[in-house]
Amino acid sequence: MADDKDVLRDVWFGRIPTCFTLYQDEVTEREAEPFYLLLPRVSYLTLVTDKVKKHFLRIMKQEDVEEMWFEYEGLPLKWHYPIGVLFDLHASNTALPWSVTVHFKTFPERDLLHCPTNSVIEAHFMSGIKEADALKHKGQVINDMQKKDHKQLWMGLQNDKFDQFWAMNRKLMEYPTEEGGFRYIPFRIYQAMSDRPFIQRLFRPVSADGVAHTLGDLLKEMCPSAIPQDDEPKRYQVVIHGIEPMLETPIQWLSEHLSHPDNFLHISIIPAPSD
Amino acid sequence: MEKWRSHVRGELFNRDCLQKDPFSGVLVSLSRLEEKLDLRDKLFDSLQPCVERHDGCAVNDDLSIKRQLALRESEHDRIKLRDRVSDLTAALYLKEAELQYCHSQVVRFRNEALVLCREMASLKTSMDDYQYSLEMQSKELMSHKQELAALRNGLSTVQQEKEELLSRWMKEKRLEAKRVNRANQKQERRHHFCPEAQPLHPDDGEQDLKCEPSVMKS
Repeated sequence: MADDKDVLRDVWFGRIPTCFTLYQDEVTEREAEPFYLLLPRVSYLTLVTDKVKKHFLRIMKQEDVEEMWFEYEGLPLKWHYPIGVLFDLHASNTALPWSVTVHFKTFPERDLLHCPTNSVIEAHFMSGIKEADALKHKGQVINDMQKKDHKQLWMGLQNDKFDQFWAMNRKLMEYPTEEGGFRYIPFRIYQAMSDRPFIQRLFRPVSADGVAHTLGDLLKEMCPSAIPQDDEPKRYQVVIHGIEPMLETPIQWLSEHLSHPDNFLHISIIPAPSD
Repeated sequence: MEKWRSHVRGELFNRDCLQKDPFSGVLVSLSRLEEKLDLRDKLFDSLQPCVERHDGCAVNDDLSIKRQLALRESEHDRIKLRDRVSDLTAALYLKEAELQYCHSQVVRFRNEALVLCREMASLKTSMDDYQYSLEMQSKELMSHKQELAALRNGLSTVQQEKEELLSRWMKEKRLEAKRVNRANQKQERRHHFCPEAQPLHPDDGEQDLKCEPSVMKS
């Protein structure tokens, strides 16, 4: 674990340069300048866009402002997915900076959850952590933590404090040596070409005969079409945090090192670029 | 290092080279400039009524504005530095806690190592015992094998002797049967020519016939 701390750092400090532009039909007092921001991959859109809101509100009339939401190429962006997942899923093979459109009207009720305050994000984040720990340790670790420890996890994410977050999160990443891994791996597989939100099922890190499962084993079971066949060109990319890990990578190591702060391993399957 | 591990590290490095590094410097500077602009806007807004009251800008006012701006900026920097100090203090506490955690992990792993060492020693002892008994058994097996080979040799000799005896016995029986048959023929001829004749002397074979009916049959 200690040897791979730089992997944890690289994952935490992953950034996506983003250009926020106001939707053309929004009514403004003067022309809206775009706003540029480096978005943390592991955070949530509504948590890190206070400055964006402030920037655009300066030129808007108070009565024209409703809840802010974001869209990329006509697709409403779900704030409750981590930013990195949204980018990998919808825009990973496009030019940077990522161009996101900002709306203050006609909130898409059918596609997005409302996010009036940061406490909604906190509740969503904590429920994710609890769900993940239920899979990993039957919820024992998170239940043994105190309220202030939960707060430390949240504040670490909110204030982008790696050390503060990991001082607590490492407890969620421990497991008995003799068991060789967690009880189940908390993962979600998103497919760009599917209407289904994501795939999430029970999957053990070690097989019944004691062999460590790999990313390839997971995909073979959950989404076999994502694995390239010997005689045909690669059709899909399997992306985690903007990279394509080898299919031989042990799933337990991936869960420990490439999970998001909600402790889930978010895997995006996107069509491979044709060029 | 395993190939998959170095692959992940390399890919993360490449990702940052492509996505983060080319924009990071520019966007951080932009953010700083925006902060400065925001500060100046606020200062301008607060000084606006004062400037309007004096109807124009004298040299002294200009200096005063510059000083005000410097003051606000230094105030802003002070707040930032205070936050940084507070962050660093928190980080120091966290590092201390981490150090303690590492110490506890060292103790835990040392205990685990001790237990494993003890287990290894007992396993080594049992392995030595098993090796000794294996050696004894293999020696025993060797001696049993030798014994078996000697017995097999003896058996084959005895079998050969038995076959020789059997063939000798068969030969003798054949001769005896011929003799008895000859005696019987003589007896029959005698009965044929003089039916009242006395039986042959026991030496001629009658006695033998009574004793060995099986030979007669053969």
